Amino acid sequence: MIVGMKDTVKLVGISVIAGCAVFVCTLFLHYNMDLATMKGEITTRAGMAMYQAQVSTGKVTASVSGGCLAATSVVMLLFYVKNYIDSHGRELGILKALGYSGLKIARHFWVFGLSVFVGCALGYGAAFFYLPSFYELQNAGHLFPEIKVRFHPLLAFFLVGVPAVSFSALAVAYACLRLRCPVLGLLKEKHEYKAKIRRRETKDKPFLEDLAESTVRERKTLVFFVTFSAFCFSAMVQMSMSMKDLSSKTMAVMMMAIGLILAFITLFLSLSSVVKGNTKTIAMMRVFGYSYSDCGKAVLGGYRPFAYIGFVIGTVYQYALLKIAVGILFADVDNMPEYGFDFKICAVTFVLFILAYEVVMCGYSQRIKRLPLKSVMME
Amino acid sequence: MISISDIVKSYGNFGNKNQVLKGISLQIADGDFVVILGASGSGKSTFLNVISGLERPDSGSVVYGTSDITKLTDEKLTKFRKDNIGFIFQQYYLLPNMTVEKNVRMGADLTGNREFKEMITAVGLEDKTGKYPSELSGGEQQRVSVARALAKKPKVLFLDEPTGALDEQTGRQVLDYICRLHKEYGFTIVMVTHNQNIAEMANTVVKMNSGKIAAVYANEKQKTAYEIGW
Repeated sequence: MIVGMKDTVKLVGISVIAGCAVFVCTLFLHYNMDLATMKGEITTRAGMAMYQAQVSTGKVTASVSGGCLAATSVVMLLFYVKNYIDSHGRELGILKALGYSGLKIARHFWVFGLSVFVGCALGYGAAFFYLPSFYELQNAGHLFPEIKVRFHPLLAFFLVGVPAVSFSALAVAYACLRLRCPVLGLLKEKHEYKAKIRRRETKDKPFLEDLAESTVRERKTLVFFVTFSAFCFSAMVQMSMSMKDLSSKTMAVMMMAIGLILAFITLFLSLSSVVKGNTKTIAMMRVFGYSYSDCGKAVLGGYRPFAYIGFVIGTVYQYALLKIAVGILFADVDNMPEYGFDFKICAVTFVLFILAYEVVMCGYSQRIKRLPLKSVMME
Repeated sequence: MISISDIVKSYGNFGNKNQVLKGISLQIADGDFVVILGASGSGKSTFLNVISGLERPDSGSVVYGTSDITKLTDEKLTKFRKDNIGFIFQQYYLLPNMTVEKNVRMGADLTGNREFKEMITAVGLEDKTGKYPSELSGGEQQRVSVARALAKKPKVLFLDEPTGALDEQTGRQVLDYICRLHKEYGFTIVMVTHNQNIAEMANTVVKMNSGKIAAVYANEKQKTAYEIGW
């Protein structure tokens, strides 16, 4: 098998994100569906107002969380497929040279969808077990009659089956697209193949400065991934912290926990890719006698500005999204607080982000230090 | 002078330990051209890695002048390599996203060598300075790695099978460049190879077998890269 089950284990980040997305969506959509069945039984005005508020909150939370997390999963899946093809270019190139078609090879990438299936199934299962407590929490004021948890097979199908199949199909389609390049493009390492086109005016810059620029220039996928992870961190953390004004305290804590877990996972995965993608360059520099700080500044430091740009975009995005969502969905609900930009949350998130970024980078630098130079270069 | 005493190096863990170097001792004089000859698995590359400071031995010492590099901290060892050592590998290990000039500059900047372009000319690549490694032949890439290693003006140049991936003509050409630069700059060369013919170019030949030195001898007359067989 070209892509084995063990390759999907590396996609644990996608499983976690998919799991969280389905967990949140299951809670709110299940609740909304069960609540809708007893709409006719709600007779009080306060009960009706609460009904509308909760349905709207459910819609906002499910769509914002589910949408963001689904988008994150898609980007991560595409990144993993691309990374897999880039790092296994020689093996895949040999298969193509032997006569296997791109589609025939790409078909094996369906297993990448398994990570989504596992995440979604676990997320759905966890949410289903939590539903009775969640219903109690939502109906703490006893404004509605007792809400019973019902199983909605269609919802399960759309939250577990459909994402798994869609992500498998997406992985196959994207792999097929990437494998359309000529056999030589696969056999030669990707960066070797690409490098020959660029012809730039080379100014008389010191090597380290030039390396920092070219590392960022030639590894656009990694730059994108770092920017994207910073974007996710910024948007998820700020959004989850802002939820405290829009939902109950317990829900806010839960959303914040999910937001933080996801944000850290995305950041961790992107930085691990950065370090892994540059390990050989660092090893070569170390062999020649460049110090760790020189290597770090030149090879890893170039991504930092993009991380900050991602953070700013994430801040603007989450503010705009919540402002619009709250404006539209809560337009008819009385006494909803106006949603405004929270500088305190932004500052706290920024500090958290810098800490997380530097800690992960530092951890990986330590790991590189411990790798024997010989083994890195032999890979 | 490099004094190597009783080097032992093993790989693997407790139950499955494989001793690759079994107590090797050797003296290498300044400016010498030493070839370490041996079959695959004889331990010659590990020996080169240990004496160049890329790997630490389990025991023994590697003394350059008065400095035992096996006792140096990682940072000091890096500085030692920066100031003294040059490397040329079979797989070149050029930075793929940097031009020829920038790859050579990687070595030159370490010692502040502003005349690094001379080294590019010396290996005959003056018309390819703006090319990327993927645009060069194997021989040209190896010549870039020669220029890169020598641009930092090393006192000792370590070569691990430098012609292993090259055809005969290109291999001779690369060796010829190395020999000419050796004569001009006078650095010490320690080269690992399995090719017996290349050993005829060296002053000193060290034959290794199963992690031990089987023989050390000096060549009365050194042949050039174009005089040896292939």
